[in-house]
This record gives sequence, structure tokens and C-alpha cells, in this order.
Amino acid sequence: MLNRETLQRASGDGRTLAWLGIGLLLFLLEAGAAATFTMEALIKIALAVPGVDSAGFLTGLESAARSIPTLLSREAIPNQGYYNGSGYQETFLGLAPAVAWAIRATLVYVYAFGIMGWVVAGYRLYRSTYRKADWTPRDDVLDRLRSHNWGLFGLVIVFMFVTMAVFAPALGPTTVDQNMRNSYGNDISYWDSESGSVETIVVGEANLGSASRGNNQNVGPWSYDDYGRFHPFGTMQNGRDLFTFLMVGSRISLVIGVLSVGLSATIAASLALTSAYYKGRVDLSMVLVSDAVMAMPQLLLLIMLTTVLGDTWINEIYSGGFLLALIFAFTGWTYMWRSLRGPALQVSEREWIDAARSFGQRPTTIMRKHMLPYITGYLLIYGSMTLGGAIISIAGLSYLGLGVAPPTPEWGRAVNLGQDYVRTGSWHISLIPGILITLVVTGFNALGDGIRDAIDPQSDSAGDETAGAGAGA
Amino acid sequence: MSETLLEVENLRTVFHTDKETIHAVDGVSFDVSEGETVGLVGESGSGKSVTARSVLGLVDDPGVIEEGSIRFRGDELVGGNWDQHRGDIAIVFQDPMNSLNPVYTVGNQIKEALRIHQGLRGSEATEKAVELLEDVGIPDAARRVSEYPHQFSGGMRQRAVIAIALACDPELLVCDEPTTALDVTIQAQILELLDDLQREEDLGVLFITHDMGVIEETADRVNVMYAGEFVESAPVDELFEEPRHPYTRGLLASIPGRNAEGDRLPTIEGEVPTSTSEPTSCRFAPRCDYAFGACEEVHPGRVRVGDVDTDHEVACLLYDDTFEETPPEGGVEAHGGESA
Ligand code: SF4
Repeated sequence: MLNRETLQRASGDGRTLAWLGIGLLLFLLEAGAAATFTMEALIKIALAVPGVDSAGFLTGLESAARSIPTLLSREAIPNQGYYNGSGYQETFLGLAPAVAWAIRATLVYVYAFGIMGWVVAGYRLYRSTYRKADWTPRDDVLDRLRSHNWGLFGLVIVFMFVTMAVFAPALGPTTVDQNMRNSYGNDISYWDSESGSVETIVVGEANLGSASRGNNQNVGPWSYDDYGRFHPFGTMQNGRDLFTFLMVGSRISLVIGVLSVGLSATIAASLALTSAYYKGRVDLSMVLVSDAVMAMPQLLLLIMLTTVLGDTWINEIYSGGFLLALIFAFTGWTYMWRSLRGPALQVSEREWIDAARSFGQRPTTIMRKHMLPYITGYLLIYGSMTLGGAIISIAGLSYLGLGVAPPTPEWGRAVNLGQDYVRTGSWHISLIPGILITLVVTGFNALGDGIRDAIDPQSDSAGDETAGAGAGA
Repeated sequence: MSETLLEVENLRTVFHTDKETIHAVDGVSFDVSEGETVGLVGESGSGKSVTARSVLGLVDDPGVIEEGSIRFRGDELVGGNWDQHRGDIAIVFQDPMNSLNPVYTVGNQIKEALRIHQGLRGSEATEKAVELLEDVGIPDAARRVSEYPHQFSGGMRQRAVIAIALACDPELLVCDEPTTALDVTIQAQILELLDDLQREEDLGVLFITHDMGVIEETADRVNVMYAGEFVESAPVDELFEEPRHPYTRGLLASIPGRNAEGDRLPTIEGEVPTSTSEPTSCRFAPRCDYAFGACEEVHPGRVRVGDVDTDHEVACLLYDDTFEETPPEGGVEAHGGESA
């Protein structure tokens, strides 16, 4: 018995080392990006502090971070080059820009799925070697989720969306700075077939020539424009690259979504636990508060607050995204609270709550330790679904010209910008972001469904543990 | 003479709902001393669990203790003073699946109580938890301490629940139907364990059940509860030999084996009514075989019956000298609803 355990532990140690090694390798591949990201974030925070307008020391560190080689970067696998009559210059291995870009984008996703696999392997290793209990109630939940195809579909979509947001700068064929914000400050070289020579042009000028405006002038998906630039999703009505726009736009959707859902989940969970623990009058007063908040028309409130607070410092943070997240959180928690209150009340009836109360455990500890674990599942379900809703709302607001301030890319704005051309050859400008929004929202809902079925196979008796799976005494 | 632990006097616990006020516990009084087991018996809905929850200060809004006093070692608890005696009174619930949190190991839950009441942490707490599991008769306790509740059988789980209760080092143990969810052999083992523990630690026990058979084995003194009131209180032998109240007689008649005649057990027809107002009649009257005219008009008070030194009280007009009616001779075994 002892021998077997020691053996198991020993083989576990070997596997753990291998696992750690792979983890280190995966990290090193992207170490530069991680360092740059951290520094950029720090600089943003430093600059956000009123009165600080330069972060010299941090900027120095940032450029140092940038010089760390990173596999999945534009520098390592460049796709922006030009044809000089005989071959491609400045692209990865002299490949065509489309191929170079495709290699980079594929590698990004291979890497992301590699990370996911590494995490799963780590959990398996922990479960088989290090965890003392052979089985815990959570195992069943995970196993059920694993065999839930719709939920897995959602998980994959959500994972790909998150990857998109995280690797946005590396995924686009060009950058926001070069292609949009500072298009007149950058120039590119291209092969002019008429003169038969390599010419140089300012990006802004090139954009004018590559605009998609219907049938006579169009750069559709998966094509090159006149300046040898490759556009996986075509160009927008102003000649900018749609793919780059959408990749960077996914970031703001995700950040606002996660921030608002995180905030409203925190509010909803603490209030649901308080109301379930104290019941009676406390519960009643919370019902009244949430009814009052619910009675406010969310859209009008959003429009009003974005206008009223439009000129304040709070609207400057993250192109107004932070303000949006706050408004979403403070108007949206009520729906989640409604959904969590039922399960929380159900848990509060369990006798282990009374047992803990009878031996004098503090109310906050009881809520956190004995009640919260039972509603985290519901938090995930409703969180996932609300996130989908938040992404739609953000897109909807930008579509109306509200919300995230231009020129920060946002999916809804792309739909808006392209709507005049939907019935022309430039249909892609509206349609592609529209499809992406639908797909991502469906993905979040599917994930929510999957988690719900995994937590609660009968979808009624919450927390009813399937007994009998354990070893009887 | 052992000391009195718990004194409950004229306890009234009511629930204010939108429509009405429910008098769940309507003026009950009893004491529990060290080493004594006081039984509380009645059907479901009679108010026995609310009595237990009142004693522990676990009555939730909209319920409230409206009147009366609960004293522990002389200290008044009503009015939110439970904290000074937290842990001195521990409770064992009916359903062991429900009273253990399935997401934590059994050891974790024992240690939670140990930390609060004995200030033990870390390995010290683990050792003590193993010791407690051994005390309640769980074999291989050192391994079992890190197992989850679902890995325990029903009886083992109830032993673990008792271990948690003991971790608080209580003086009074409230057992709310502790054996109802278990099968008969396990039930007997748990009762035996409770009995041993009580003797070792000189615990006072408030034992709540609907099962007269269990009461006969465990209790020293019995209170029969009906619709929020105690209709009869007596030492256990006296109660089983000379039950006075028609309800008690009905309960006794429905114990298997006590009733030789007939192949069917007699049952008491109907259900416990919900008391929503001050009583103006005997609450048992609609189900009582001996009811007479006055039962509909007068709320019976408690009267002393039997020998002077047996502490036997009953709330029934048959024993009230103001009324002509007298109790039937020879007990009620012959009686008790031929229905069912
Ligand atoms: S008072 Fe009347 S109705 Fe009530 S138990 Fe006694 S005899 Fe029956």
C-alpha cells in the first residue's frame, strides 16, 4: 500500500516536472508580450493619476520589455511587405503577405489552445496525484460539462473570442496606430505595376484608394488592395482594414463586458446572500430597492448618463468604456440578483447553515463559506449569459452613435458604418461584425446553458447531491 | 441533585405572515437538568421543531419569540443574548445529508467548530477532530477525517454530525428527530451512542421526535405537544403506564406491538390544526373521541393528576373537577379510531 503510494507520488513528480517545463516554455515564447503588456498597463495607470503627465522611468522599462523577442509578434512573423518585381520584401521568409499573416494568426490560436491544454493537463495531474480525495462533488459537474456538446461549443467560441481580445495586436494584418489613428504619419512601400517600380505612399492616402463603397469601389474579404495590402475581411467604407478594427474592437467589448458583469455579480451575490440569510424584512427591503432600480428605463438612463457625464474625467477612462461598465453594473445587477435570490434562499434552508449558526459562526463567514459555493454555479450561468447581453448592448449603443467614443474600434460602430452598403458589393462591412456579434453572444449563452446542465442535471433540485457515488462505510 | 441547565417558561413563538399570525409555540414551559433527557413528542406541525429552534435562537424572520423566557444556567437568552452561550447548546438535526455541507470534508466542518469554541487550528485541530470521530465510533478516523460527507453512510454521517456538535463542548444537546432518517438497526446504534455520550459528559438532552417508541427508550421526562401546547407532561414510566390525555393515549395506541387486538394499528384521524388565534376551545376537540359539550367552549388549563409526588400534568377538561365528565376507565387501548 505504502509502496504503491510512494511510486504513484514519484511518477507524479516526474510528470509534474514535465508539466512545469512545458509551462515555462509556453511562457518564454510570449515573455516579451507579457512584460510589454504589464508595463503598458502600469504607464496607463500612472498617467491616469491626476497631475502626472509623463512616466519617463516606466517608458524606459517599456521599451526594454519590447526588445524581448516574442514568437507571436508582428516583428517575428511580419506580413507587411511589398513586391519589388521579383519577390516579396520584408515579409516572413519572403512569403506572400496573405500567407505570412495566415501563419501568424494560426500560430496564435495554436498557442492559445496549447495553453488551454496545459491547464487541463495540470488539473488532471493534480486530480490524479496530489489531491487527497478520490472524488469531490465538483468532479461530477466537470464530467457533465465535458459531455455537453452545446456547452463545449460555447466554451470554444468564448475561448476563441477571449484569445482574439488578448492577442488583438498580433492578429491584425496591420495596427490601429498605423492604419487608423496615425494614418498620415506612416508610409508604406508598394509595387506600382503601371510604372513597374516600388513607390512610397502615406497610409492615409492609400486608405482613400482602398475604400469599400459599393459596387464600383470595393475591397472584399480575402483580397489585396491596390497597394499590395492584404485584407482578410476586406476594408471599411473609409479604406481601413476591417479585420484589424474588429480584433481591437473585441478587446473593448470583452473588457467592458467582464467589468460590468463582474461588478454586477458582486453586488447581486452579496445582496442575494444577505437577503437569504436574514430573510423577512431585510429581504423585503431589497426586493423594493431592486424593483425601483428595475423600473428605471435602462436605455434612457444610459443615454442620459453618457451625455451628462460626457465631459467629466470618468468618461475619459478607456474611451468611455469604464463609465459604460459602471452604468451597466448598477442598472443590471437586479436581474442577476433576482435569479440568485431563489437558489440562495434554498441554500439558506439547509440544516448545515443552522448548525453553523448554532455553534456561533459569524454571519459573513456563513454566507461566504456555506452559502456562496452553492450560488457560484448560478453566478457563472447568469454571468455568462449577461456577458453576452452586455456585448450586444455595447454594440447596440455604438450602433446608435453612443457609448464607446470614436475612433476606438467597436463592433457596433462597424455595423453602423457599413449599413449604407449592405445591398452593394461592400456588404461585408456590416455583415461580418454582425455575424461575429451573434456568434459570440450565442457562445456565451451556450456556455451558460452548459454550466447550468452540468451543475443541475434536473434543473430543479439545486444542490441535491447525487448520493451513492462514494464508498459506503 | 444535578443543576438545572435550561429553563423555558411560557414560551410563545409566533410567525407573522401577510394573512395571519401563526402561533407555532403557544406558552410552553419545561426544564432540562444536567444528565437528564427531556423528550418532546408530537406529530409534525405540532410545534416541536420550532421549540427547538427557539431554544437555539434560530427562529428566522418573520418568526419571533413574542413572550416568555429561555434561561441557560440562569442567564436570559431571549432578546438576542444567545452569543454568550454559543456552543453550550448544540443541535443534531434529522437529516444527516442535510446537516453536513457536501462541499467540505467532514474534518473541515469539525475543525470549523473547534476553531470557534476551542481556538484550535492546524494539525492540533486535525488531531482533535480525529479524536472526536473516534469518540463517536467512526472506524479508521484518521483517514475518514479528510473524506467528504457523501463518502459516509447515513449512520456514519449522523455520527459525524454528533462529532461536530461535541466539538463545541456543549452542556446541552438538542436532538431534533436525530434518528428519523435512519433505518432501525442504525437508529438503535445512534441512540446508544447518544446515551453513552450523555452519561460520560453529563449532558442535558432535549430529545424531539414523533416516535413514542424512541421516547420510551431515551427520555426521563416526556412532554406531549399538540398545536403549540403541551397537553401532557410526565415522567416517562408514568406516562406510558397511565396516559391521561386522549391524544397521548392515541399516540401510544399507534405504537406497533402495544396494541394486541386487531390486525391494524389504530391511527388518530385528521391533522394538527394551525393555530392562528388565541384558543377558545380545546384544540384537540375535532379529533377527540371523548369530546363533550364544554370542549368547544373552554380552553383546558393544566391540571395535576396522579400521586402527589409524581409530577404529572395534563390539559384536558376530563380531569377538570368543574366538569361532570370523567375519563373512561381502563385506558384507551380499546378505543382509538377504527378508521384508517
Ligand atoms: S378537553 Fe375535551 S376535547 Fe380536549 S382532549 Fe380533553 S376531552 Fe378531548
